[in-house]
Amino acid sequence: MLAALAWRNIWRQPVRSILSLIGLAFSSLLLVFMLSFQLGIYDTMKVGALGLLDGYGQFQPVGYDDDPDISRLLPNWQALVEAAELDGINTATPRASSFAIMASGDTSFGAAIIGVDPVTEPKVSTLASTIIEGRYLAKGDEATIVMGEGLVRNLGLTLGDNVTMLGTGNDGAVAADVLELVGIFSTGISGLDRQITQMPLARFQDTFNLGDNINVIALRGGDFSAVLQAAPALAHMAETEGAVYLRWDELQPEVKQMITLDLSTAMLSYGVMIIVVVFILLNTLYMSVLERTREFGGLMAVGMRPTQIGTMVWLELIFLSLLGAGIGIALGAGVTLWVENVGIQFPGMDEVFRQWGISGRVYPDLSLLSAVAGPGVIVISIIILGLIPYRRILGLEPVTAMGAA
Amino acid sequence: MQHKGNEMTAIVSCKGITKVFGKGELAVHALRGIDLDIMEGDFATLAGPSGSGKTTLLNMIGALDHPTEGEVTVDGQSLSGLSKSALSDLRLQKVGFIFQAYNLVPVLSARENVEFVLRLAKVSVAERRSRADAALAEVGLQGMETRRPSALSGGQQQRVAIARALVGRPRIVLADEPTANLDSKTTGELVDLMYRLNQDSGITFLMGTHDPRVMAHSKRHIEMEDGQIISDTRS
Ligand SMILES: Nc1ncnc2c1ncn2[C@@H]1O[C@H](COP(=O)(O)OP(=O)(O)OP(=O)(O)O)[C@@H](O)[C@H]1O
Ligand SMILES: [Mg+2]
Repeated sequence: MLAALAWRNIWRQPVRSILSLIGLAFSSLLLVFMLSFQLGIYDTMKVGALGLLDGYGQFQPVGYDDDPDISRLLPNWQALVEAAELDGINTATPRASSFAIMASGDTSFGAAIIGVDPVTEPKVSTLASTIIEGRYLAKGDEATIVMGEGLVRNLGLTLGDNVTMLGTGNDGAVAADVLELVGIFSTGISGLDRQITQMPLARFQDTFNLGDNINVIALRGGDFSAVLQAAPALAHMAETEGAVYLRWDELQPEVKQMITLDLSTAMLSYGVMIIVVVFILLNTLYMSVLERTREFGGLMAVGMRPTQIGTMVWLELIFLSLLGAGIGIALGAGVTLWVENVGIQFPGMDEVFRQWGISGRVYPDLSLLSAVAGPGVIVISIIILGLIPYRRILGLEPVTAMGAA
Repeated sequence: MQHKGNEMTAIVSCKGITKVFGKGELAVHALRGIDLDIMEGDFATLAGPSGSGKTTLLNMIGALDHPTEGEVTVDGQSLSGLSKSALSDLRLQKVGFIFQAYNLVPVLSARENVEFVLRLAKVSVAERRSRADAALAEVGLQGMETRRPSALSGGQQQRVAIARALVGRPRIVLADEPTANLDSKTTGELVDLMYRLNQDSGITFLMGTHDPRVMAHSKRHIEMEDGQIISDTRS
């Protein structure tokens, strides 16, 4: 009965209620879209920054993260590759790496050389997809190398040229090889394009005297959160073998920091917006409670308890806020899904974004969290603060209420 | 419920009621020592100049306000010390109110307004409906059950209010200037209606009024002046 009455009371002042609903729906819509958009950017950033080379997680020898020396070997790595069988993990690829001098004719430059498995590596890192000339490393390759376009330009190489590589092997002896340039990649990150080279792992192990040892295993799963969920199991595996497991935020702490910073600034502005909306709405409702004081007196006179009247008014508030937030979530989800299909281009921001591994177009990511968090906070605040008019009604005396203008 | 012979029961009993509004210099003594019994079957009018305390007394009897001193008993139950909720329940079960301003719920139809008190009293759906329609028929509003107050005339709204006051089968109906907003023809009809309800169903009425047309029907006439009862006559 109270619910039905409350519902009808909402529509007694249709203009006022509709304005309140529009305000609520619009702010909910904004919150849903902005939060989805923000989480979408974070996802793109994480996938971009980690998917390019690092992978979503890595097994490393103890201390390797601080001092990535070729002599730090991953113990019993054949067992750790089994991690690919875990739920949420798709691929585990072994790597070994070192620094070397790359020389061609009179020119030489220092660069990182990574030994990779040509078959599993492209399933973990998107580097292979940034090849602009030639091809990526392939199964059966031996003395081949792929390089970033910056380094290729610096060395004055063209596809098919031979490169002399000079480094220090695991045993401290000179490691030298002559490799054929089969592919040139362009990641858009100039630092990477100047400093990264890759060659087949087997040849790397020979050249650098590693036997069949490696340095790290990089992992990738279907999506980020799945890999994150598997983190405890992966850490346990690593511990068993005397190695360590690094999550994405340990591999790229700057990305994590930037997301945290950005999110806390955003929370501040969302908070302000929510406070404004909630107070405007409560003010409107409180006015309508004051206006109806006489009527409440009449209801008390015929035997309605103050608690029942208070509950009725509280229900009005709950219905109004749920309805407004519901409409807002529906519209916000609609807009977000639409933008999810087309993406948003930020002209002039490409260069900035690329630093974070994001392509020019950004896509929001609608999730239960992004759809419900903002409007949910509004509704809950309104429901809690709605106890203020409720308490006022409990304090009403029938005679004074009926005497009110 | 009608009583035989001279055996009369007091439905309302006021003993030594005083009411003071405000404090000190500004204190208004609205009631100064009221002793009054309203008997079962009374059709009583409460008259007196403006400010004499009629509304204040009706509010005390109807458990809408507390006396400063003295005790009100309704249907054998003392009102002193009852909680707000208990007073609400007592009004719901024992008292019917009719106000000058009707005080209907604007978002409810005539039938829903009448049913409302039955819902508060947790009467079953089927019984609610038939009792509400019977009450509306009794006040002459058949066919208007689904209209909202805004679609009814003042007289019709007051009829709905009377039906609402009666439908809960209260021990007493209190009416404060029930006809003050109505023209004389409508007033006549409403007084006839209430009188008939009193005669036929034995419903006890106590009405505060200035209206000679209402007083003309009364079987008991109480005069107030300056917070006191100056005469109480039966005819
Ligand atoms: N809430 C209040 N605060 C202060 N004084 C009040 C209050 N209510 C009533 N009074 C005073 O109490 C006295 C009695 O008022 P009451 O309303 O009972 O008179 P009444 O006989 O009903 O008058 P009327 O015929 O004009 O309706 C008046 O002097 C009035 O001013
Ligand atoms: Mg009065």
